[in-house]
Amino acid sequence: MSFSRFLLRRTLMVIPLLLGVVFITFMLIRVGGLDPVGQLAGPTATQDEFDMIREELGLDKPLWQQFLIYTGNVLQGDLGESWLSNRPVLDDMLERAVISLELLVWGIGLGALIGIPVGLRAAFRPNGKFDQTTRVLSLLGFSIPTYWLGLVMIFVFFYLLDWAPPAIGRISLMIFPPETVTGSYLIDGLIAADWEAAWSATTHLILPVVCLAIISAAPIIKQTRAIALEVLSSETVRYARACGLPERTVRKLVFRNSAVPIITFVGTELTGLVGTMSLIEYVFAWGGLGQYGLNAIVRGDFTAVQGYVLALALFSVVVFLIVDIIVHLIEPRSELN
Amino acid sequence: MAETVSSDFEGDATSKPAFSLKNRLIGIARVSPTMAAGILIILAFGVMALFAEFLMPHDPVSAYHDRILQPPSAEHWFGTDGNGMDVFSRVIYGAKFGFGIAIPAVLLSIIIGVPVGLIAGYRGGLLDEVLMRFFDGLRVFPSIILALAVVAATGQSLLNVVLVLGFLDSPVFARVVRSEVLALRSSVFVESAKAAGNPTWRILFVHLLPNAVQGAMAQTAVRAAWAVRISATLAFLGVGIQAPTPEWGAMIRQGAEFMVTGQWWVALYPGIALILLVFGLNLFGDGLQDLTDPRRRAAK
Repeated sequence: MSFSRFLLRRTLMVIPLLLGVVFITFMLIRVGGLDPVGQLAGPTATQDEFDMIREELGLDKPLWQQFLIYTGNVLQGDLGESWLSNRPVLDDMLERAVISLELLVWGIGLGALIGIPVGLRAAFRPNGKFDQTTRVLSLLGFSIPTYWLGLVMIFVFFYLLDWAPPAIGRISLMIFPPETVTGSYLIDGLIAADWEAAWSATTHLILPVVCLAIISAAPIIKQTRAIALEVLSSETVRYARACGLPERTVRKLVFRNSAVPIITFVGTELTGLVGTMSLIEYVFAWGGLGQYGLNAIVRGDFTAVQGYVLALALFSVVVFLIVDIIVHLIEPRSELN
Repeated sequence: MAETVSSDFEGDATSKPAFSLKNRLIGIARVSPTMAAGILIILAFGVMALFAEFLMPHDPVSAYHDRILQPPSAEHWFGTDGNGMDVFSRVIYGAKFGFGIAIPAVLLSIIIGVPVGLIAGYRGGLLDEVLMRFFDGLRVFPSIILALAVVAATGQSLLNVVLVLGFLDSPVFARVVRSEVLALRSSVFVESAKAAGNPTWRILFVHLLPNAVQGAMAQTAVRAAWAVRISATLAFLGVGIQAPTPEWGAMIRQGAEFMVTGQWWVALYPGIALILLVFGLNLFGDGLQDLTDPRRRAAK
């Protein structure tokens, strides 16, 4: 199958999934007993005012009509207005997306940088000391609540040692943010050769990124080990061993054969970690999309909650798509089927 | 398969037919020391939850207004929180919430997920296709965020937290049972049960269920760990469970502001308790999965 045909087919497959995602998001605030009208109208509203708002929001129409209207609006990029900020939800979210993405990419990047070599090493000597230690450690990583780890890090590195800046925002309040190019203060600071801003952005990044890396490394270690173990017991590796190839060559072979499933897993991880990232943003007052979404949930801003949940699902769908494309490009066997 | 598992469990204890918890534990520890450690941790928290009233030195929700934010001392082992409540007693009481949410939530997941998996796997066809696509659709939402949003939207109560967690986690069980049923669907014993004129429900629940349920049972401990973790996260954000309820997540929320002013004990101890229980459940669950998955055992 040619690449363009694969691309077309894979992209078309996304459409029913997207419809399902929009449906689940639509139902999200309708399954509950909560009434967004009461929230908008306030406690002193009369019955007439209630009915007026209901009509304005289209809530008097049958459910299937509401769903069609909602889907139409989503397609046009209209996610409604946030009750907290009085602005279109889409604008609110677009502003904050890059801020979150920066944290997510650094965090999972570091997590993979730790997780993949550790998982590989554990797999080369299964049940050895190293394997058993990392197995227990990664189970521990599964068990640590993200927000608690963040709080403990703030206590140790800000309060006790005074190494880290206060956990508010992405750059010191005394420093003027660099000119926006990418939206990342660190990269923008480097581009503008504003070393002070870049340094301040780095110090603000370290704690949340390390926190995210610790949480994301645990599943990566576990999965890399499982994948490498499977490759190690494959016929390819057994044949290589039987031919008497040196251990170094065999390891290279294992690494090359594990690469595709590991990339797939790290990609899926990325989408699962969005929840963890939101909590880290919340603790470190990061001001990104995650904090925006959690605030909306906690304060009951349902239009924003809907938009946020939809955005996360879309993000997952896009990441899955990209992962599939990368795998298709680097996996020679995919040409065959 | 079932037989090999039970003989592994018992180890040397087979010579003593009488059931003894100690012998069982020693037997398990020989096969998997981490699993035995997990069981011990879970048991310790179980004792805490059941006998909290006898173990707590203070009332977990009575505020001593003259002892606000006191560091750990002989009187208050884990110090006092911002309301002057005894952190040690609150941590012990919190075990009740851990089990009280996780056990019914996992049971609900099983009650929903297992029949759905049985029917989807046995019937196949359009129903199976639609269900699996729906589960795939649910998977693109991060579980924490979906749980948060649904609890916030359906009204915030402890019962709702349990219902939402149980419902959202049921696909895990449905998937496991479905894949086992798919493998068993055309086996001889199912065919002969059908030929003997058994009604479908009987084939599903009497013939297939006992053969397909093992994989699902191996998931229970890990799913319980998930439920404890997510419910504490909800409480940390103040969704579903509110302060001053002595729930670990809610206590960490209360202690968060004091982390930057140096009163570390308010948030630290409930966090450690939460980690230990989830860790114990994960250790136990990891062992369970090893025992029931022949491929994972072979890798050892």
